[in-house]
Amino acid sequence: MKMAASAPSRVEPSSDQENGDNSLQIQQPFFLLHKAAPDKSDRKPSRRRITSSPPSPNKPGAAKSVDDDYSGDHSHEHLRMEAFQHAWSDVEATIEGVLRSIDSGTFEAIYSWISESFSIIRTHVSSGFSEISRSFPAAVESVSRRLFTGLVLTKNMELFDDLRTFEELGRFLRSHGCHVANLSSLDFLAKNGIGGCITSLLRQFLAASVDAPDMLTLSSWYNDQVNNDTPIILIIDDLERCCGSVLSDFILLLSEWVMKIPVVLIIGVATTPDRLRSIIQSEALQCLCPFKFNLGTLAERMDAVVEAILVKQCPGFFISHKVAVFMRNHFANHGGTMSSFIRALKIACVQHFSMEPFSFVLRGLIEEDIQRSKQGLLPKAIYNCASNISPCDRNKMDEEAVQKLVPEIIQLKRLHFLWSIVVLCLYEAGKYDKLHLLDLLCEALDPEVYASRVPGSFTQETRHTKASSPNDCFTHQHNFTMRKGGFISRAMRKVRDLAESHLLSLLKKWERHTADISEIHEKVKELQHMLKFEDCQQLKKDSMEIAKIHGLQSKSNLGRVTKRVNDKAASFLAYLIEKYMQPIECVPFHEIVCFKNVKKLQMALVGDSRRRIQVDLLESHKILSCSCCRNNNILLPSMHDTSIMYSSCQEHGDLVNLHDWYHSFKRILLFPNSKRRHKLKQSPLSKKQKFTDDSEKLSEVAIQSRFCRGVTELQIAGLLRMQSKRRPDFVQRVAFGL
Amino acid sequence: MLGWFLQKRKMGKDEVPLITRRTTRSSSATAISTKNNVVESTTSTNICSPSPIDLLYGGEPIDLDVLLSNFPGRHPQIRELLQILGPLNAPMLPVFVYGGPSTGKTGILLQLFRHLNRPFVYSSCRTCYSPRILFESVLNQLSYHQKNSTNGYSSVKRCEKPSDFVNFLREALVGIVKSLKENRRKSKSSKKLERSIDGNMVYLIFDKLELVKDWDKSSTILPLLFNLDSMLNIPEVGLIFISSTPPDTFYSSMGYIEPIPLYFPTYNEDDLRQILVRNQANPKLYSSFLDVVLRPFCRITRRLDELSAVFSPLFIEYCKPLNDLAIVPNEDLKRKLFSNLQPHISLFLNETFRVLSQSSLGAERTKDGEPRGSKSKVGTCEDSDELDFHMSTSAKYLLISAFLASRNPATLDASFFDSRGGSADGRKRRRKPSEMAKGQKEAEEQELLSKGPGSFPLERLLAIFQCITSVAEDSLGEEVQEEDSLEVEGQNNPLMSDVLLQLSTLCNANFIVKGGTCPLEGSTRYRSVVSEDLALKVAKSVKFPLAKYVYRR
Repeated sequence: MKMAASAPSRVEPSSDQENGDNSLQIQQPFFLLHKAAPDKSDRKPSRRRITSSPPSPNKPGAAKSVDDDYSGDHSHEHLRMEAFQHAWSDVEATIEGVLRSIDSGTFEAIYSWISESFSIIRTHVSSGFSEISRSFPAAVESVSRRLFTGLVLTKNMELFDDLRTFEELGRFLRSHGCHVANLSSLDFLAKNGIGGCITSLLRQFLAASVDAPDMLTLSSWYNDQVNNDTPIILIIDDLERCCGSVLSDFILLLSEWVMKIPVVLIIGVATTPDRLRSIIQSEALQCLCPFKFNLGTLAERMDAVVEAILVKQCPGFFISHKVAVFMRNHFANHGGTMSSFIRALKIACVQHFSMEPFSFVLRGLIEEDIQRSKQGLLPKAIYNCASNISPCDRNKMDEEAVQKLVPEIIQLKRLHFLWSIVVLCLYEAGKYDKLHLLDLLCEALDPEVYASRVPGSFTQETRHTKASSPNDCFTHQHNFTMRKGGFISRAMRKVRDLAESHLLSLLKKWERHTADISEIHEKVKELQHMLKFEDCQQLKKDSMEIAKIHGLQSKSNLGRVTKRVNDKAASFLAYLIEKYMQPIECVPFHEIVCFKNVKKLQMALVGDSRRRIQVDLLESHKILSCSCCRNNNILLPSMHDTSIMYSSCQEHGDLVNLHDWYHSFKRILLFPNSKRRHKLKQSPLSKKQKFTDDSEKLSEVAIQSRFCRGVTELQIAGLLRMQSKRRPDFVQRVAFGL
Repeated sequence: MLGWFLQKRKMGKDEVPLITRRTTRSSSATAISTKNNVVESTTSTNICSPSPIDLLYGGEPIDLDVLLSNFPGRHPQIRELLQILGPLNAPMLPVFVYGGPSTGKTGILLQLFRHLNRPFVYSSCRTCYSPRILFESVLNQLSYHQKNSTNGYSSVKRCEKPSDFVNFLREALVGIVKSLKENRRKSKSSKKLERSIDGNMVYLIFDKLELVKDWDKSSTILPLLFNLDSMLNIPEVGLIFISSTPPDTFYSSMGYIEPIPLYFPTYNEDDLRQILVRNQANPKLYSSFLDVVLRPFCRITRRLDELSAVFSPLFIEYCKPLNDLAIVPNEDLKRKLFSNLQPHISLFLNETFRVLSQSSLGAERTKDGEPRGSKSKVGTCEDSDELDFHMSTSAKYLLISAFLASRNPATLDASFFDSRGGSADGRKRRRKPSEMAKGQKEAEEQELLSKGPGSFPLERLLAIFQCITSVAEDSLGEEVQEEDSLEVEGQNNPLMSDVLLQLSTLCNANFIVKGGTCPLEGSTRYRSVVSEDLALKVAKSVKFPLAKYVYRR
C-alpha cells in the first residue's frame, strides 16, 4: 500500500501557522458537531481576527477603535450578531421560497396523479361491497389489486435535502385533504419486521399507540373517518435504505388491502428506478403500478438558489472570488447537498459579520434595500447604528466619517446591481449551453480577469468615448482577452450560435432582467426590434423569392441575417461585460460587504478531526496549558499517558513492538531526564533488567495497567490496530502523518 | 391416514345421530327456510346484535353452476372440495389446499362457502403477521368483535400464548356451535327469522400458511395449527389450510396427523384463455388478441396475475387502430392488428421476463401525452451513458475504488498502483506470470466469478482511493491549470478530507455493503455491489480510465 509506505516520512510537527490558529482549531470539531453558538464560537475568532488582521486600508480609524477598546467590542459584537441574524433570516426565507417554487410543479403533478388513481381504485370497488369490514379478501381481479406507486426520483445520492422535500410533499397533500403518513427507512428495519412499519403507520394516523397493530385497525379507522373519500398516502422517503424483504412484505400486505383501504404509495428513489428491482422481491414488484416523477435536480436547485441569493438579492454580504471558488469546489467534491452549500454560506456569513468591524452597517444596507422607495434612509440607518456604539467609540467614528461612507456604499450597491444584471444575462445565454450559474459566478467574480480585461486604457474617458454613439455597443469589438474555454466565453459563443427562436426568447429574458436600468433596457429593445424587423423583411423577401427560387438561397440568406443579429447580441453582451461587470472585489469599500477569508471557511467546513486528534495528542500541553509540562520537546511523566505513548510510538514504523514501546513508556515515567532517555532508546532491550528492579516509585503493575489503558484509548481513537494472531507482540499503526 | 379418516368419519357418524336427535325436526325445514328468508335479511343484520350470521360470506348464496362457471378449469378441485367438506353437518378432516400463486385457491374456497352458506373464519397469515395477531384475529371474528375507536382499537381478548389461544378458541367455538344449534331450533319454531345458516359447522380457514415458516416462532405455531383439530376435538369445527408450498415443506415427522392434501395445479393454456376471456366486453376481439399473445407469454409464465397485468396494456395497444371496439374481427383485420402489435410483443415479453414491467410502462406513459412533473423532460431524455443522479466527486472516486477493491485481487494492487501511476508497467508485469501459469490463473478467475465481488478492509479502500485520486489529479492538473485557474491554493488533496463521511453515504445508498464485525478490532470489511455498468458510468463522468485498472485474466 503506497499510502502506508510513504506516510511516515510526512510526520512533522505542526507548522507555525497552525500554532497561531490553535485557539480556533481547538474549537473546530465542536464547531462542526454543534451549530455555531453565536455567543461563544464567534466571540473568540472575532477578537483574534481583529488583533491579527491588518486593518483595512480604507478606514484605519474604525478598525483601530475596535482594537483599542475591548469594552466597545462587546457592543459591536451585539450589533454584528443582530445584523447577521437579520441578514440570514432574509436569506433563509429566500431559499425556502425558491425551493418551494421549484417543487410546486412536481407536487401538483403528483396530486393530480393521486386523485386520478384514487378514482380508478374506487371504480374497482363496486358499490355494495360487503367484504369491506371482513377479514377475507375481496373477490376481485388481480389487476385491481395493484398498488399505485409514485416513484419520486430525487436524483441525488445524498438524501439529506430530500427529507425536507418529502415533508413538504406530505404537508401539501394534507392540505388537499389526503391522509398522509411519512415513513422512513427506520420503519423498515429487518429487526422489527413488518410490525414496525404498521406500528408507525397507526401511530401517525390514530395518534395513539395500538397494542397489537394490524391492518384491520387501520381499515376500521379509515371507515370511521368523516372524509373517507380521500386516499391514504404513504410516503416512504428513501427506498435505498429500506430493508428489502420488509418493504416487499409491506407492499404485498398493502396490495391485499388496497380494496378496503385505498392506499397510494409514494417512494423516494435516490438513484435510479432500476434499484427497485434489486431491492424489492419480484412478487411484490408485480403488485406495483409505478409512475415516475422527477424532482428538480440538484443542479437546478443550486442554480436557482445561487441566483436568488448571490446574484439577485442583496443580502448585505457577498463572497469574494476565492471564497466562491472554494465553495464551488467543496460542493462538487464533497458536499453533494444543497444543505451543505447553504451551511457553508452561513458559516461564511457568520464569520464575515463577526469579523468585519463595520458589518453592523450592513443592517442599514439591508433595511434600505427593503424600503427602496425612501432613498434617504440609508445614511440615517447607518447613523442610527453608529450612534448605538458606546460613547468612547463615537468620538472616533463621528458623523463625518459616516457621511463619507454613505455615498460610497450607495455606489457599491449600484455597481453590484449592474454586475448582477450582466451575470444574469450571461446566465440566460449560458443556459442554452447547460452552464451552471455557480461556475459563471466564479468567473464573473474573478478580479484578475477583470484586471486583464481592463488594461490601463480603460479609463473614464475611453468609456465615455466608446459609449458616445448610440449603436456603438452592437459593433463593439471587445478588447479583452477571455480565458480560453472559460464559462463566460462559452456563453458568448452560444449567443453567436443561437437559433432564431432561441435568440428571441433570450432577448425577452434580457429585457426582463434589465428593466430597471433604462440605458441597457433600451438597447435590448433595439436588438429585439432589429431581429423582428429583419424577420419581417425576410418574410417579405421570402415570399417573393419563393416564387423564383426555392429553398436553398433563401435559407442561407435567413441564416445570414440572424447571424448578424446574433453577432450584434454577442458584441452587446461583450460590451455589457466590459462596461458593467465589475467584480465586487474591484470596488472600493468592498471589504465591508465582501467575505474573503478562504482559510477560515475551509477550516470550519473541512473538519479533519483525525488530524486534530493526532495534533492534540502530540501537543497536549497546549490544550491543558498546565505548568508542569511546559517543555516542548521532552516527554515528561506529568504528561497524559496516552499522549506520552502516542509521541513515543512516532519513532516506530507501521508496526510497533509492544515490548519496546512499553519499556520506553516505563522509562519516561520513571526517568524523566531526557538525556538518559535518549541514550537508552538506542538500546532499550539491553538495559532492561536494570530498570525493572529500579521501579520503586511506581509499581510494575500500575505501569502496565496505565500502558494497557493507553493502548486501548489509542485504539478507540482509531490510531492503532490490535495485534494479529500471527504477530502477537506487534500492534499496527493505522494513522500516519498529519 | 385413510384409516384414520374412515374412523373419524365413523365417529362423526356416531355423533351425527346425537346431533340429529337434538335437531332432527329442523334439518329438513332449515333448508327451505334459508331460501325463503334470504331477501329479508339485508336490513335487519345491521341492527340485530352480533350473531353467527356475521360469519357468513355475506350477500346472496350462489348456485353451484355459477360457482363452476366462475372458475373454469377448476371443476375437479371444486367437486373434490365439496366432497371433503361433506354434506350438511358432516364433520370433516383438516384440508390442506396448495398450489402455486394465483391458481384460485382462496377465491374458490371463499366462493364455495358463499355457495354453501356456512359460517367460517378467515385469517390470512400475511395480514396477521405474528402469532398474537393471528390468534386475536380468529378470536375477534368468533366473538363478532370489531375494532373501532370506541374500544380503542383493541382486541376482544389479549392472547399471546398458544395455550391461551386453544382455551379461548374452544370457549368461543363451543359458544358458537351452541348458538348455531339454538338458532336452528328457533328458526324451526319461528318462521320469521331473517336469515339462517346452513348446518352447525364452523370452519377455520388459515390462508398463506407458507409465511408462518418465516416467523421466529414457527416451530411452535405450525404444530399448533396442524394439531388444532385433535386438540379441540369439537366435531363441528372444520380446519382448512391454504398454502402455496406443498405439504412436505411443513410437516416432516412432527407427530401430527396430516391433513388431506388438495393440489391446485397451474392453469393450462386453454384454462387461461377461458379465464381471460370471461369478463371481456368484446370476447371475440379479445380471443383474437389471445390467439396472438397467449402462446408466447405462456412459455414464460402461466401465472394469471402476471399475465393479466401484461395483457391489459397490450390489449389497449392492440385496439389502438380500431375505431369501434365492438367489432368482430375477420381474418384480414386480425392480420393487420397482429402486424401492428408485433413489435410490442417482444418488448413486453422481455419485460415479463425481467419481472419489472410496470416501471418502464410508467416511463412510457410519461413520454406520450401526459407530462408528469414539471421536469419530466429531464427524465425522459435519458442518456444511457450519463449518470442520472448526483454524486459528489469524491463519492464517485470512492465508488470506483471500492469497485476496484472488490474486483481485483489484493495481491495485484501493487502492480496496478505503483509509484509511477502504474498502468503500462503494471500490465507487463502482470502478463508474465499469467503466461507461465495460465491454467491456474483461469481457475482463479473462475473462482473470482463464482465468488462475486470480494470484500476488502477499509485500509485497502483508502489506499486505492488515494492512489486513484492522485493519479487523476496529476493527469487533470495540467489542463485545469491552463483552463481555469479557479483552483485555490492550500488544498493539497481536496478530495481526501471527509472520505469516511462519503463512505457512509455510499453504504446508505446500498452501493457498498458493510460486513458486520466488531469496530474495535478495526477489521470491518466492505464489499462493493455496484454493477460494472454503473461503475463505468461513474468513471466516465469523472474521466477516470477504469478499464485500465480492472483485473481481467
